[in-house]
Amino acid sequence: MILPKLDYKKAKSLEEAIEYFEKSNGEAAYFAGGTDLIPRIKLRLRTPSLVIDLKGIEEMVGIKKTDEMYVIGANTTIFELKNSEIIRENLPTLYEACAQTSCEVLQMRGTIGGNILQDTRCLFYNKSLTWRRAKGFCYKMGGNVCHATGGKNVCYANYSSDLATALLSLGSKLVIVGKDGQRKCDFEEILTGKPEKPFNLRQGEIVKEIIIPGGKRQGAFEKIRIRGSIDYPLINGAFTMDSKGGKLVVGAIGSKPCVYSVETIEEERVKILSETVFNDLKPVNNTVVSPVYRKKMGKVIAIKLIEKTKKGA
Amino acid sequence: MEEELYVVGKRVPRTDSIYKVTGAAEYTADIKLPNMLIAKVLRSPYPHAKIVNIDISKAKRVPGVKAVITGKDGYGVKWGVFKYTQDHMMLPIDKVRYVGEDIAACAAIDEETAQEAIELIKVDYEPLEPVFDPEEAMKDGAPLIHEGYPRNINIHVHIEVGDVDKAFKEAHYVREDKFRAQGEAYAMLEPYACVAYYKNGYLDLWMPNAGPHVRAKALSNLLKIPLNRIRVRHVFIGGAFGGRSEVAPADFIVSLLSIKTERPVKLVMSREENAISSRQVHDVVARIKTGVKKDGTIVARDYEVIYDGGAYSSTGPIAASVPFYVYEECYRMANVRYHGYRVYTNKGIRGMYGCHGRAFLAGCEAQLDLIAKELGLDPIEIRLKNGLRAGEETATGSKIISCGLQETIEEATKKVDFKNKWKKATRLKGVGMGCVAIMCGFPMGFRSGSSCSVKFNDDGQATIITAIVDNGQGNESMAIQIASEVLGIPMEDINIINADTEATSLDPGAYSQAATFVGANAVKRACEDARRQIAEIAREKLSCEIKDIVIKERMVFSRKNPENKIPISWIVREAFLRGKPIIGVGSYFPNIDLKREWVSKPFGQMAGSFSYGTSVAELTVDENTGKIKVHKFIAAHDCGRPINPMAVEGQLEGGIMQAGIAAIMEGNIWHNGFLMNPDLLEYKIPTAKDMPDIETVLVTTMDPEGPFGAKEGGLTIRMSAYSAIASAFYNATGRLFKELPLTPDKVLELLQTEEG
Repeated sequence: MILPKLDYKKAKSLEEAIEYFEKSNGEAAYFAGGTDLIPRIKLRLRTPSLVIDLKGIEEMVGIKKTDEMYVIGANTTIFELKNSEIIRENLPTLYEACAQTSCEVLQMRGTIGGNILQDTRCLFYNKSLTWRRAKGFCYKMGGNVCHATGGKNVCYANYSSDLATALLSLGSKLVIVGKDGQRKCDFEEILTGKPEKPFNLRQGEIVKEIIIPGGKRQGAFEKIRIRGSIDYPLINGAFTMDSKGGKLVVGAIGSKPCVYSVETIEEERVKILSETVFNDLKPVNNTVVSPVYRKKMGKVIAIKLIEKTKKGA
Repeated sequence: MEEELYVVGKRVPRTDSIYKVTGAAEYTADIKLPNMLIAKVLRSPYPHAKIVNIDISKAKRVPGVKAVITGKDGYGVKWGVFKYTQDHMMLPIDKVRYVGEDIAACAAIDEETAQEAIELIKVDYEPLEPVFDPEEAMKDGAPLIHEGYPRNINIHVHIEVGDVDKAFKEAHYVREDKFRAQGEAYAMLEPYACVAYYKNGYLDLWMPNAGPHVRAKALSNLLKIPLNRIRVRHVFIGGAFGGRSEVAPADFIVSLLSIKTERPVKLVMSREENAISSRQVHDVVARIKTGVKKDGTIVARDYEVIYDGGAYSSTGPIAASVPFYVYEECYRMANVRYHGYRVYTNKGIRGMYGCHGRAFLAGCEAQLDLIAKELGLDPIEIRLKNGLRAGEETATGSKIISCGLQETIEEATKKVDFKNKWKKATRLKGVGMGCVAIMCGFPMGFRSGSSCSVKFNDDGQATIITAIVDNGQGNESMAIQIASEVLGIPMEDINIINADTEATSLDPGAYSQAATFVGANAVKRACEDARRQIAEIAREKLSCEIKDIVIKERMVFSRKNPENKIPISWIVREAFLRGKPIIGVGSYFPNIDLKREWVSKPFGQMAGSFSYGTSVAELTVDENTGKIKVHKFIAAHDCGRPINPMAVEGQLEGGIMQAGIAAIMEGNIWHNGFLMNPDLLEYKIPTAKDMPDIETVLVTTMDPEGPFGAKEGGLTIRMSAYSAIASAFYNATGRLFKELPLTPDKVLELLQTEEG
């Protein structure tokens, strides 16, 4: 499959990138690692006339640690994160999520910003134009039916970022830059819960950095996939804990991970929590395993994560 | 006394490896010819629909488009491997039978132009009711996919030996189970591609193929061009696994476009097209009934196997039979009934696979372990008791001339302390094994044999000319190694001209395990002929007897006086002077029953010899997630004698991955005739991280017919590795699998059922 003809600009600063975007009449796409974007363009799921490369923006790279917070530039690669001592020693949840994302070669290319802004996925959606035309366009493509469920005007595509699940459990915030300046918000706030349009970002906005509250945190990350490498999650989960309590996140089912505050990790409470997770998850038949299985795994993952964290603590 | 060998049996680097690892090897997609056009194919969006009209007028008018074709441009010939299976028009005119079927095609100056033109072709369809499930397709009243095939039964193979019903009545214990397996993708790393160049009435072709002569024959029929005007040429091939054996619609399309334009035309499929519209593997449903005596002797077998054949016949009769044969070549079957149905469905075109028939074979082997347990035996005892031995005949009358089944069982199980582990299987941890035999070549009538010629140049170097094909397994290197041994010159002194229909003579190709046993046997004979000619001259020069002549490291001498050496190049020059250049010829035709027929007479000698193999797997099952972890895998294979042990080991390792680990992850997923995972992201080929600790064992049985005692090199593991997984799963969980692959969702479901 070949790429369609498109323009390419490499921005040296955030201002320059936003300027390019403004001039494109909204037809540009930001390009970080490209591991999500380029296959989508090849499949004609996205048809930007211009690709704006952000990799040349140096202020978007790096991991900084202060007592109050960790600041991670959105252009930092997953491989750099995985190999950062700061991350490994203080944020095991994020470290494990990095290690379990795709494979090392793609970790070297993929960035944390690109990873959390990856579009939702579905077995009926991530296909070539020819395939999708033959099947008929689904709701996410502008049609009105969901092939996975047969439902009208609904979408159940999965947000498959492993890093997002970990970052949500860490209570992360995002620094976002747009033509009107800079804003800061909770990561959770930009997730719409709508699989067909998963992010609440204004046109042309760029996620500049990810901010994680400071201090050493206990935690774990779990991912169910068929293969030991490459695969997107069938379901994933993260748990992070400090003296004030913990946060459990279960993701990759639907477009918004489920987030739970965990005050106590006593066995009885964990059992109740895992039942809640089971009841909350609404998987459909849009991956390579049965939805019933994915639902059950929510419970299994929740218990496992908390047990693992307890042991590690 | 064992003869002394210099090269054969040695671990030598394969001759093709250097080109592959440096990127110098050119595959079909790399071919660039002057004035070459690029082809694109329009494909059916319907699983089953009548073609009412195809309008190509707009496409033809696109600047840069040189030809647009539909089925009407063909010659109305339908293709099939056998006369009675000719059902595939390559570009249909009546109706489409699967999503992705070729409808029309164009050739243009570049890919973008071709794509633009394709999108302007307008096809009017009248959708017909489709049928996707082979068991549904066999029901009365199901939509018919082809005329003249009631209940959509494309092929029915019926084999019956002994008195099966009586034997079941007398059996001590009888067990019946039903097993399923999703079809697999061949997933060759090289997506299908074809280049055709028609000029002055001659057609040259390059494509990944496993048998250039059978490919040329099919195209000769489809295009109505005589064989000597079609030349299928040598090219590096990025994997076949059975999926490159038959003519492809793309070959016909690209040829037709080149004939129309008299320019070279290239078609390169995308990964998705390769999965949807090149060949696929059959989904299989197998009903297996087995009856045993108290001592473990299997006395009765009743098999019904349904193969989801997709839209066309393809290798139909062979596909519907082979899983049974590789099993009857392994075990004694006094009373056996086999019904193999290959059924049409509205799914992609299918072919044979190196791991063909896993529902049947893994089902048989896992059920065997359950029976052993019922009788208080173990898997080793029951297999040794029922396994065939050299000198015996299979149920359908094939004589076995060499057999290392017992050794492979013993060697493979020894490595993991199998007996103890199997008996003391702790909860969710188990071991299991699977055995099988493989025919070294299918009976293919006059195409069953191979021939070779070898010529010497005046510098003492040689060229062998053989139709042997190498689609990744190292057949070229193997042929050179054998020639090197016989001719007494190093491998680097030998060039090979092969897999070219104009330069070589008929050969069965590399898809029926015939390359070593048949093809290399011809190479050996041709080289022996050349060696005899060299020895004749040398005898005069050295004043010695022919039997004492030794040729080694480019020198000829008498073993009685090894100090007196003549360079082989001198002899070669002398031969030129005498007007009798050294040109050796040789051919080999295996001992097969030529009256044998897959459907009408499924009895008689199947192949010249059979190889044997045993796979052993050790695994654990996670009771919470249902994930299977394979820890250790042993593959023991009797290949007669390995020509290059490294190459054979590579085949065994490949088999462990492609059949063994695949049994827990690989399977095509369908939704109303649409392939849901036509890519390498959602079709789960195991990664390095999924591979277990591997040990390979090569058992030497010195086949009396094979070249230097060799038989086929490794397919037994491709056809038994899934059985080891299925058996180990039974050992670990007390449950037989219901469907392969054993993905975690299916495993968890099984764990919630009763044992047994």
